[in-house]
Amino acid sequence: MTNTLSKTTAAEAHPLQDYIDRLLQGKAMLPDSEINLIEVVGILKSYGVVLDAYAVNLKYMATGQFLVLFPFFKYFNGEITPGKLLRHWWHDRINYEYAEYCMRAMMWHGGGGLDTYLDSPEFLQVCETAIQAKIRRNPILQGIHRLFPDFLPEQVRQSAYITGLGQFWTIMSEMFLTLSDRYDAGEITSIPAVVAHVKAGLVAAATVPITFAVTIGDENYDLIPESAGLTFLADTAIPYVEAVFFRGTPFLGTVSYNAQAHQIPMEQGQFAYGALYADPVPIGGSGIPPTLLMQDMRHYLPTYLHDYYRQGIRGEDDIRVQICQSFQKSMFCVTSAALQGLLPHSPETQSPDEQSANQAFLAYWMDRLMASRLAVVQLPSR
Amino acid sequence: MLSALIIIPLLGALLLGLWPGGWQGGRARQFAAIVQGVSLVWVVIVGCQFDIHVPGMQFVESFAWVEPLGLDYQLGVDGLALPLLFINSLLGLISVWASPARILRPRLYFALMLVISGAVAGAFVAQNLLLFFIFYELELIPLYLLIAIWGGTRRAYAATKFLIYTAVSGILILGSFLGVVWLGGGSSFNYDPTLTASIDLLPQLILLGALLVGFGIKIPLFPFHTWLPDAHVEASTPVSVLLAGVLLKLGTYGLVRFGLQLLPDAWEVLSPWLAGWAVVSVLYGSLAAIAQTDMKKMVAYSSIGHMGYILLAAAAATPLSVLGTVMQMVSHGLISGLLFLLVGLVYSKTGTRDMTVLRGLLNPERGLPVVGTLMILGVMASGGIPGMVGFVSELVVFRGSIVVFPVQTLLSMIGTALTAVYFLLLVNRVFFGRLAITLPTDVIQPDLILPPVSWAERWPSIVLAVVIVALGIQPSWLSRWSETASLTWRSPTVTVAQAVPDSLCEAFATPTCLP
Repeated sequence: MTNTLSKTTAAEAHPLQDYIDRLLQGKAMLPDSEINLIEVVGILKSYGVVLDAYAVNLKYMATGQFLVLFPFFKYFNGEITPGKLLRHWWHDRINYEYAEYCMRAMMWHGGGGLDTYLDSPEFLQVCETAIQAKIRRNPILQGIHRLFPDFLPEQVRQSAYITGLGQFWTIMSEMFLTLSDRYDAGEITSIPAVVAHVKAGLVAAATVPITFAVTIGDENYDLIPESAGLTFLADTAIPYVEAVFFRGTPFLGTVSYNAQAHQIPMEQGQFAYGALYADPVPIGGSGIPPTLLMQDMRHYLPTYLHDYYRQGIRGEDDIRVQICQSFQKSMFCVTSAALQGLLPHSPETQSPDEQSANQAFLAYWMDRLMASRLAVVQLPSR
Repeated sequence: MLSALIIIPLLGALLLGLWPGGWQGGRARQFAAIVQGVSLVWVVIVGCQFDIHVPGMQFVESFAWVEPLGLDYQLGVDGLALPLLFINSLLGLISVWASPARILRPRLYFALMLVISGAVAGAFVAQNLLLFFIFYELELIPLYLLIAIWGGTRRAYAATKFLIYTAVSGILILGSFLGVVWLGGGSSFNYDPTLTASIDLLPQLILLGALLVGFGIKIPLFPFHTWLPDAHVEASTPVSVLLAGVLLKLGTYGLVRFGLQLLPDAWEVLSPWLAGWAVVSVLYGSLAAIAQTDMKKMVAYSSIGHMGYILLAAAAATPLSVLGTVMQMVSHGLISGLLFLLVGLVYSKTGTRDMTVLRGLLNPERGLPVVGTLMILGVMASGGIPGMVGFVSELVVFRGSIVVFPVQTLLSMIGTALTAVYFLLLVNRVFFGRLAITLPTDVIQPDLILPPVSWAERWPSIVLAVVIVALGIQPSWLSRWSETASLTWRSPTVTVAQAVPDSLCEAFATPTCLP
């Protein structure tokens, strides 16, 4: 990332004050233009379709492949046919790996109630019963469990993240597809309207419970009961935005980072390899390989967006880069919506204390966006 | 038969230049390509009828032209010239193909290209010293114009420098030819290796010295090379292809044909010095290439290094090394042609050849992935990676030369390693990493997007790459034409005691070249 801005600490004159003002006015960080609207709505439609497929698979993996240590058929959703196997090998399929990368990023960075709950004694207790039930007739796994008592619980924690992300994406996918329907119906005509739609969706689903239960034999095990109080917004959405949009991981890709040479921040919280920072021109750079998602999304592009991409000077050649650029724009809209939804006080507030709290809240996030692609998405695409 | 190789392009040039009516660029290019294509087919026909078991000249054509001057129109082709005729026609076609259709004054441009092709073919088949000289000079003027009219910003300087250098080269060669005939007591300028037998060693040495400098400028060898990088940098891509691929070969061909074959006694005396000169040229060219930041200059300096191998092989003058000279000429013609084409494509798409700013062009979506792939293949061929023609020709050169000049050959081999150094630098800087064509700045810029390369632009390079790989996998397709001619060579430094082997493979299996 070469396009970085210098940081200042003065909250009132934040270098990105312009964006803070825009957010407080209910606008988006992305400029409102016709092309941006086409790109954002079109890509979110395609993203919605792909997310739904990811979510279905994630939820299947968490339960259907529960404690399967060699899950060869984890991407088959329980339906294994020779035709499906051939298509899998031919790679005519959705890149479910991307979903797993996101899950791992979330699990690695942690945060939110899910992270806390998975370390609690009540979870470990249910977890242990479920493990015992699962490995009852498997002496090898029993031996492993006795030797490494943390290994199988960690697998269960991973399954909890898998289903958590699946449930989060189910809601997001529906939200994006509704957005597309409303756009097609002429109800969405500007970028702020997109942000408002997403914000309303996030607020409406904020308290939807996140749960996890598996059935082993005839027995049902409530690994995350509703009573644990985990909810959509606080325990999956916010950690997801933090892990996938902001922090990301420096470990995947072909550009190598040398931690000893301090090429990676000392603090995990300072990581900036997420979707808002990603380089759309693929070099196998750090972070989640966006190309996997771009490949998936290109199959479900709405015609108007595909036509727009084809008019570029490289035409179909660089369609994945163009998709990534649009995707990044759309993610700035989603981030705008999330930040507006999380504002400590109403943006219209007249109280100076509340105003400065709002300002401080947004300034914190703007500090983190300094090195992001925010400045680049302000430029016209062509 | 051989006259057609000269007449077809020259007639084509005449038609193209004089045909009434305004031809657009595309039409002129199409016509020139057809003419070059016919020439290429004609060379293939000649090749099919060529008897590879006959060591001497074939398809000889001879009639008196200007008898008082001793200038006869005498043509012939042997194993030394035939492969060169082939690359002349092939690269002639490629360079026309790689020329933009919308070019300034297309009729003049393509006509000049055809003149060069005809003149070079004439020089390769001429069996009269004066006739060779005429063709040798005939190619200068069109090339001068091609650089001076369609070149870069410093084209006038580069073209004039080229003209002055090569005109001096021509004078030296002409003087040497006159000396050979006058001192040898010949009645005409017809090519006759027995002509010089009666000349004393000292005059022979002087005559050879003049020839060496004359052809050394053309090849070019250190320190006569300075015109070449300038000419390449200013010349347009197709002209660079012609210059590196074909015109430099006139120098090495002349060295073997008129130096080694015409003045063998003097050659024998000077050969250790020539081998030393070759080493200097190889190492100088390679080291200078490492220091370059302009891609085209790097390829140009690499040419200087690789042409040095030919001097080394010619100095050794064993049957195998003489075969090596022919193979290296063809191999260098193909590889440098490919590299110049690709550098030209990079320049036309990014607007720069500066290796300090270009990065990541191999990027599959927005860079030049096919150009990058071909470039990697080209530099591997140039660096002598097995499976490509560069390896075979360099191996034959070194294998043929090491028996005579072990130290010089080993030193020249360092040049191969240095080739890997500078071309890996080039590939690593320009093609790997994050896509960029300017230095990083703090100014916020949209993501870089390079214009696409069409298949029409890629095809000439692909054809050359295919030939490079094909000849690398099946080297006998290249060597078979010259084996008989070179293996029956009268070798001044090595006596071939044993029977001439039937094929190149046997030459490798049985050390017939060992003294």
